[in-house]
Amino acid sequence: MSAAGERSDKAGHRGKPEAVILFWVANQMFAIAAESVQEIRSTDGLAGAANEIDQEAVPKVRHILEWGRRTCYVVNAGVHFDLPVTRPTLVLILRRMRIAVLVDRIDRMTEIPAVYPLPRAFVGKERRWYRGLAYIDDSVIPVVEPSGFLSAEEFAALERAIKPGESQREMEGAAQA
Amino acid sequence: MIAGDNSSRNSFVLLRIGAHRFALPAGLVAELAPPVKLHAFPHTSNSVSGVIIRRRRILPVYDAGSLLLGKQASGQQFYLVARCAGEGKELSAIPVSGECEMATGQVQPVESDRPAYVAGTLIIGEDSVDVLNLEALIASAPDTGSIHAEAQP
Repeated sequence: MSAAGERSDKAGHRGKPEAVILFWVANQMFAIAAESVQEIRSTDGLAGAANEIDQEAVPKVRHILEWGRRTCYVVNAGVHFDLPVTRPTLVLILRRMRIAVLVDRIDRMTEIPAVYPLPRAFVGKERRWYRGLAYIDDSVIPVVEPSGFLSAEEFAALERAIKPGESQREMEGAAQA
Repeated sequence: MIAGDNSSRNSFVLLRIGAHRFALPAGLVAELAPPVKLHAFPHTSNSVSGVIIRRRRILPVYDAGSLLLGKQASGQQFYLVARCAGEGKELSAIPVSGECEMATGQVQPVESDRPAYVAGTLIIGEDSVDVLNLEALIASAPDTGSIHAEAQP
């Protein structure tokens, strides 16, 4: 690593090495901490586990995924980052979160020496999207903040949107029983 | 060009953005950096076009051309690194042409109808050049729903 954030320089430390997964969405590479990803699955392999949901409050979420004992909201990363429309082929199922993320492809897993703070010039949503920046192969790559894919407000909107459907399914299940 | 120690109040760096010349107080300017790779990634900060790496630091690049001229200025291959704006006035870069020069002179007050980012008018011989207030320039960018820059650990 040959670049350092100003704050890191001043603080006299440069963070600690960390394993990350590099993935692509449209024409942009991102990094995510490997420890925050529980599984990576092909979208084809999720046909039985994913259900389309009809809601407009959070356009980046079109499906929920029943995975283990969790119900995850499937976030389209391209819509989340406002990137050109692509056809995602993989799903990152995040650890300890009810979030799965649609991405185009995995580049590789690697170790980065440090995550450098996002410059304070960035004042928009990116402050929620990213933990910081990494310098890999002569490129600056944003390191995503896993919890930034869905805000508390978006979670609440999704919960409100799917509740009627869930109630209906429960009633149907009860009627069949 | 390295002018970090020059804090004279009457010293300025003259820079060219598009067809226009502007002046910056020399005390704010760290260096004129050569053409380096601009790294871009998704974000919603209107005034920022990406980051560059300079002297082991990741520096944000403000799109001064769009803010000043309403469009991206062509031929801006170099970067003027200066303490721009915000808490702590972090080092930032603005794209400029390679034509920068030092000048000294007195700053005259500006008329009230000038934009807030014009801090004064520098008189150099028969020429007058707008002195930029970078903080006001960056603040003039259209708001995109900014989030307060929280302290980072």
